[in-house]
Amino acid sequence: MEREVDLTGLYCPLPVIRAREEINRIAVGDVLRIVADDPAAEEDLKRWAVRSGHEVVGASKSGEVITVIVRRKK
Amino acid sequence: MMAEQGKKKKILYVQTSGVDTPERLYAPFILATTARAMDLDASIYFLIKGVTVVKRGAAEKIRLGNFPSVREVMDQALKAGVSLYACTQSCDLIGMSKGDLVEGVKVAGAATVNDLVLEADGVLYF
Repeated sequence: MEREVDLTGLYCPLPVIRAREEINRIAVGDVLRIVADDPAAEEDLKRWAVRSGHEVVGASKSGEVITVIVRRKK
Repeated sequence: MMAEQGKKKKILYVQTSGVDTPERLYAPFILATTARAMDLDASIYFLIKGVTVVKRGAAEKIRLGNFPSVREVMDQALKAGVSLYACTQSCDLIGMSKGDLVEGVKVAGAATVNDLVLEADGVLYF
């Protein structure tokens, strides 16, 4: 299962705070697709995911908009 | 002393001082460049007024005594492989945009600085 959350327009640290809330809404093993446009979000979200024990399964960038895909691991 | 086998040790330098205190600006670049020569990973995170140092065109204008300009020591650090990060919210605070940053400086946020502190074997604040 995959859930997408659009965090465009939110700035540091809100993308990370919201990503944390959203990942708690999916089941362990499921995937959260996070879309954001804060220039700090890509590195912040990747580091948040790994530090929180989840897995970054993908990341892409299109103009200012980044997508980070995280699998909930616990 | 022999370096520990395995993973490279990491040092993080946090620069919170800005262009109004030029005497505080050299040390992180010089220490980080030296760290790279010691085969350590080195990063500098510019926070609060620190982001004024990595504003495009600012470091060129700062030169103390017989020292090279701050831009020159910054370029040496970048060339040596030191990672430079600028706090987004600090940039906003002083009205700097991402495009105002020196090339090679990465934009980063709160999760990144927390993570850099935890993954470093030592942290120095300026």
